[in-house]
Amino acid sequence: MYLNVVWRKVNIQSTEAATEIGEHIAVEPLLAVENLSKSFGTQLLWRDVSFTLNKGESLSVCGISGSGKSTLLLAIGGLEMIQSGTVTFDGRPVIGGRQAFIEGIGYVFQHYHLIEELTVRENLLLPFSIRFGGRQMPDIWDEVLDLLGLRELLDRLPTTLSGGEQQRAALARAVLMKPKLLLADEPTGSLDEATGARVMELLLQVCRRFRMSLILVTHSQTFAARTDRRMLLKDGFLCEQGYKREVDG
Amino acid sequence: MGASEHIRASCTEGVRRISFRLRQKSYFFIIFTVGHRWVFLLAWRYLFPKKRFGTFFTWMSVVGIAAGVALLMIVLSIMNGFDTHIAEKLIQINGVIKIIARRPIAKDEVFLENIRRLPHVKAITPYVAGISMMQVGERVALPKCLGLDIETAPSVLPLERFLTKGSLNGLKDGAWVSEALAHECGLDVGDTFELYSPLALEAMKKEELLLPQEVTVAGLFKTGWAEADRSTVLLPLELAQELYALSDNVHGFSVEADRKYLGEVCRDINHLLPPGLVAYTWNTLNADFLYILKLEKAMCFFVLLFVVAVAAFSMSSGLMSAVVRKRRELALLRTWGATKTDLSLLFGLQSLLLGFLGLLTGFAGAAVILHERNTIVRGLTGWLLPKDALWNFYDVETLPAVWSRQDMLWIVLLTLVMTLLASLLPIGRMYKLPLVQSLRRG
Repeated sequence: MYLNVVWRKVNIQSTEAATEIGEHIAVEPLLAVENLSKSFGTQLLWRDVSFTLNKGESLSVCGISGSGKSTLLLAIGGLEMIQSGTVTFDGRPVIGGRQAFIEGIGYVFQHYHLIEELTVRENLLLPFSIRFGGRQMPDIWDEVLDLLGLRELLDRLPTTLSGGEQQRAALARAVLMKPKLLLADEPTGSLDEATGARVMELLLQVCRRFRMSLILVTHSQTFAARTDRRMLLKDGFLCEQGYKREVDG
Repeated sequence: MGASEHIRASCTEGVRRISFRLRQKSYFFIIFTVGHRWVFLLAWRYLFPKKRFGTFFTWMSVVGIAAGVALLMIVLSIMNGFDTHIAEKLIQINGVIKIIARRPIAKDEVFLENIRRLPHVKAITPYVAGISMMQVGERVALPKCLGLDIETAPSVLPLERFLTKGSLNGLKDGAWVSEALAHECGLDVGDTFELYSPLALEAMKKEELLLPQEVTVAGLFKTGWAEADRSTVLLPLELAQELYALSDNVHGFSVEADRKYLGEVCRDINHLLPPGLVAYTWNTLNADFLYILKLEKAMCFFVLLFVVAVAAFSMSSGLMSAVVRKRRELALLRTWGATKTDLSLLFGLQSLLLGFLGLLTGFAGAAVILHERNTIVRGLTGWLLPKDALWNFYDVETLPAVWSRQDMLWIVLLTLVMTLLASLLPIGRMYKLPLVQSLRRG
């Protein structure tokens, strides 16, 4: 009775089709979300959300504003309390709202959240420094800088960068930690179409390059179409739109 | 083992344990902070962002704390200066050690020779002290009279330094009158006045008449100590002995000794003294007065500390607004593995850095102001007050100021403690904020 006629509730199991989608996807589940429910007070946000995600796979979540996409993303990362359900990441349970840091999960947000007082270089190295005490450089430092075109921007302050440059820096900051799963919350939301497309291209490129799984929350159907799988959060349920190949076909 | 010894032993053990734990904690703190260099970097950058010479908040906080620290340092240094000045005057007038006799004593006793031979004792001089009545024409005064031995007194008391008119040798057969008394009675060097012995009252009871002594003013003096300068007459010892009918006896002795070993010397002297005589150091004799000076200074310190407290808590409100403003950054730090303790350290460090910079700036400012204090005071007194009144009252050519290491240590310690306490408010705020939820919206 909760279902829309167009969308049906689906428990998505992607492992069987994984190898068909692309070589970058390993047939090995990284994330398992089971029967996740979230409500604010008496108001239900979403319920019985279940899906799995393979290593290297990208998935987009679309939905109207207020449908709970960002909250779902934070719940997957363990940053948001959930009412019921389980999240298992890399074989370990994620306890919602109790742990802010989970090894192997990286974030990219719409508003970049670069620290204004630090240079781009310091911004990029800060998470690494927190994690490893600042005694070593990330081994993919040069590669990421070249890929995202940040080498010239290293000594500049975030306030002197354009939106696209800031988002590239934010992306690099997340990627340098070599997360297994990248959670991107509308990373192109503050950018114009052309810059957004460029950032999106880079995001997918780095995910493929470093074999990272991606969950992308976006309003844009165009960008969503570029991920391996597309899902829609509507009326409190997460519905799959089918595999990319099928949609494209 | 008695109960008191048992208590003392357990207290000592307790102190040893606490100090061991504190040492352990401080090692832990050093190891912890070295492992968290990013916290230092971020705390520093929040206060001094790259390519900017500090933020408005940074400098306002530093200036606030610096003003409080400078004010404390200046006021305490000047109070120290006046305390030293007063202590010096007390010593100059009384000598560093005074031997007081309950009954008059002969000035050539054997024990005196033994005292002279004590290590660190430089000189000893007898004195006679009392009140007498002085008459100059129609004017009558009741000055304090001090009889001194002109041969030995200059090696204990800086008589020449006190002399403003006349000669030192004049004290052999004349009197020195304090400037204020001379001015009140219209006396000058070479004038004479009549000095009545207090024994005249006893003589009158026996219907006898004791005639006054006619004394010539041989010099005028000013010690700079208001009490002594108000109404004092210095007399040759023989004349004072005659005035109080002491024959060859005296009321006591002033001793000059090495100031580093005063307590030791005083103790040795007391061992040599016969019953009825007691030696006191200058600070024991003036203990109440010195206590009042200390109390005044402590009260000043306490009151002025509130300036630093106000600055520290205004800094705290700035840090609290920074917590709210930067909550998304803080949430991100948490997602990268920073703990709430790390974030607490981040704000504690900012507070400490501001306190430290405030201390440095405050001390530098205080040093400049104290260096130029006389120029400033001259400017202020010329503008607001009659200059001579100030100089005459305090008897100082320049405003005295003495830096005290102990005061500095207290200022440093209390400022850092207050800035640390002030950081507890933003840290508490940070703990209450739902940091991670702030990531949900941009």
